[in-house]
Amino acid sequence: MKKIKAVMVGQPNVGKSSIINAISNARLHVGNFAGVTVEKKEVEVRKGEYEIDIVDLPGIYSLHAYTPEEQVTKRYLLEESYDVIINVVDANVLQRNLVFTLQLLDMRKKTILVVNMVDEVEQKGGHIDAAKLSELLGIPVILTSAKEKKGVDEILDRVIEIYHQPKCGCKIYYNEKIEEEIESLAKILLKSPHFTDYDQARFYVIRLLEKDEDIYRIVHDLPIFLELHEALGEAMRRLQLEFDVEDVRDLFADERNALAKSIVMQVMQLPRQETLTDKIDKILIHPVLGLPIFLFFMWALFQLTFQIGSLPVDYLDQTVTNFANWLKGILPPGDFNSIITDGVIPAVGAIIMFLPNILILFLGINLLEQTGYMARAAFLLDGFLKKFGLQGKAFIPLVSGFGCTVPAYMAARTLKNPKDRLITMLILGFMNCSARLPVYVLLISAFFATNSAGNILFAIYIGGAILGLFVAKILRMVLFKGEPEPFVMEMPPYRFPSLKALAMELWIKAKLFIKKAGTFIAGAAMIIWFLSSYPHHPELESRYLQKIEQVQNSEQKAQLQNELAAKKLELSYLGQFGKMIEPVFAPLGFDWRLSVATISGLAAKEVIVSTLATLYAVAEADEHSSTLVQKLREYVDFKAAVALIVIIMIYSPCVAAMSTFYAEVPQWAWRTFYTIYPNVLAWILAFSVYHVLALLGL
Amino acid sequence: MDITDLKIGEEAIIKKVKAKEPIKGRLHAMGIAKGNKIRLLDHTLKKQTWEVDVEGTRVALRDEEAKAVEVER
Ligand SMILES: Nc1nc2c(ncn2[C@@H]2O[C@H](COP(=O)(O)OP(=O)(O)O)[C@@H](O)[C@H]2O)c(=O)[nH]1
Repeated sequence: MKKIKAVMVGQPNVGKSSIINAISNARLHVGNFAGVTVEKKEVEVRKGEYEIDIVDLPGIYSLHAYTPEEQVTKRYLLEESYDVIINVVDANVLQRNLVFTLQLLDMRKKTILVVNMVDEVEQKGGHIDAAKLSELLGIPVILTSAKEKKGVDEILDRVIEIYHQPKCGCKIYYNEKIEEEIESLAKILLKSPHFTDYDQARFYVIRLLEKDEDIYRIVHDLPIFLELHEALGEAMRRLQLEFDVEDVRDLFADERNALAKSIVMQVMQLPRQETLTDKIDKILIHPVLGLPIFLFFMWALFQLTFQIGSLPVDYLDQTVTNFANWLKGILPPGDFNSIITDGVIPAVGAIIMFLPNILILFLGINLLEQTGYMARAAFLLDGFLKKFGLQGKAFIPLVSGFGCTVPAYMAARTLKNPKDRLITMLILGFMNCSARLPVYVLLISAFFATNSAGNILFAIYIGGAILGLFVAKILRMVLFKGEPEPFVMEMPPYRFPSLKALAMELWIKAKLFIKKAGTFIAGAAMIIWFLSSYPHHPELESRYLQKIEQVQNSEQKAQLQNELAAKKLELSYLGQFGKMIEPVFAPLGFDWRLSVATISGLAAKEVIVSTLATLYAVAEADEHSSTLVQKLREYVDFKAAVALIVIIMIYSPCVAAMSTFYAEVPQWAWRTFYTIYPNVLAWILAFSVYHVLALLGL
Repeated sequence: MDITDLKIGEEAIIKKVKAKEPIKGRLHAMGIAKGNKIRLLDHTLKKQTWEVDVEGTRVALRDEEAKAVEVER
């Protein structure tokens, strides 16, 4: 078995993931690149006697890496060892993609070119001459359509073939004058024993002429550096004079652009016609209609999340309750029975019930992303976000934040400017994540009329977003003075989302959610149950049991039983803890139970629901308040419920999100700030809301 | 003249990209480079953000960047 290591590179949105998914019999691993939290996809395929390992590198526009993710790809290309480069390009925009291909070919590594999305070109009546393209570039060219699974498996054959060739057959050279300078500089580099390979020296010289700092750092410590540096300066001056440019970087950009243009002219016919994207964009980013349409989409998404998502809730609720009762009957009575049927099942059940809501929200966000609408929203909102010291691209992490804060922190990497990134990350927690949805749904159904529920939910989400913007503005004025990063962004064409990819994503989300509910949240529920059931107080119990026996009336019996349960809970470890922290939350109208639930939300926001379920499950014998909703209405007053909603909107996200933030932001000062300020702000705002409501007489 | 002088739907040839690095490099990577055809597709109500088509790629940019791209009809 021979091993071949290949890397897959290409500009964003060329269909690399689709190709990876379309390779047959491949095993996919998803992990992280060493030291950074950038997702690393890797596939292993067997082909004859070869084991081919393909690493999918994050999308990169140019070797002049701009964003942190592009930096990851560039580093990998320069520093890691691999046998073959698979360069994927989008046939629709071949010229722009080839400019990057030409940069890659400077490396003179064994490279194959995969021209994807040919189905779209053919549909437009276009044609690409692969043989001619291959001849001009000097490397193998494959036409593929990941969508129709055409040509994808041929990639492996070409990888094996080129693996056996002695070297890259690239034929691309720049203008003679430029090549002359490159050659004489490369000769200086070759004097150093570190360089034995002319092709590598040539590549380094080109990067140096383009003022690539990563390469500069490598050659900086070589003994020949002084000589090289001087010669480099002279070469640059000569080239600037000769070609009348201000910067040699522009010279290479122009050269590659002109080369790419002439290659495309020779190999491709693509009739220019008004595309579907043109037509749709005329409406969706219309100067006047664009924003209202966008707001309508968002509103519709939250309505759907609530309305459709809540349809199966009663049914699920009943099923869980029945299951718990059934299990209670067959398990032997005792602590184990109790921990399962009173602790874990209701807690997990209280959360599983919200799976439909969460899936609909995720589906909505995925649709935004996959159809290409997300970029339009960024375009529409850029002017607006700029007022708050953010930029349009920040919209993407912000919207992802409605799904889950963890990937949203990672999505913030598309922002290059560190200040922009930090501001965005600091306010991401105000975008309500889907884990908070169960808590809101529970509180809304308990304290608001059913017909206004969707609107209240929308208000909570919008309210969080607006608060985030104001905080961003303040941060920009006080802590991060300066202009936000310029906004330059590709708007991908509208594409009909791949249903298979959508279904896959949803399935993965559902699986992860159920797994989280079954492990982490069940574990948290068990701890909460344990803390709320111990220590036992046999003396108290026997006293009450005596009392209960003495009374005849069954109503009085039930009342005493409730009293006992409430007393036991208050004396439990959790009760003691709750009493301890109660003073902090008392000004918000919280009793110790709400205080404990709030703190438990730091583990995961869904845990608030299960904790409430455990803590308010005391009135077991009370027949007219069987569900959690009814119990909440009974024990919690409206003002405190609203204050709780405000707290949940603002305070620190869960531990998983916090650790992601710590991983992304190395500075201790910002980590500390991030850990403290949302909680202070949450408390202050909840306090104000509580007292304003009190003034209104609610 | 620059991008912001074009009318919606109008086409022109890029003469020069005057932006500073690294934005210039980014514009180049998106296809906004000397000699390429550019067409103005749209702008927001206050003309703060602009959308153009360069050789088949749609790019959104801000006023400042749009003003830095010199074009000729
Ligand atoms: N028509 C067509 N669409 C494709 C093809 N390959 C990918 N796509 C679509 O292009 C979009 C971007 O693809 P993706 O694999 O996410 O790109 P990546 O960013 O390079 O990984 C998705 O909507 C895909 O469904 C193709 O060969 N033909």
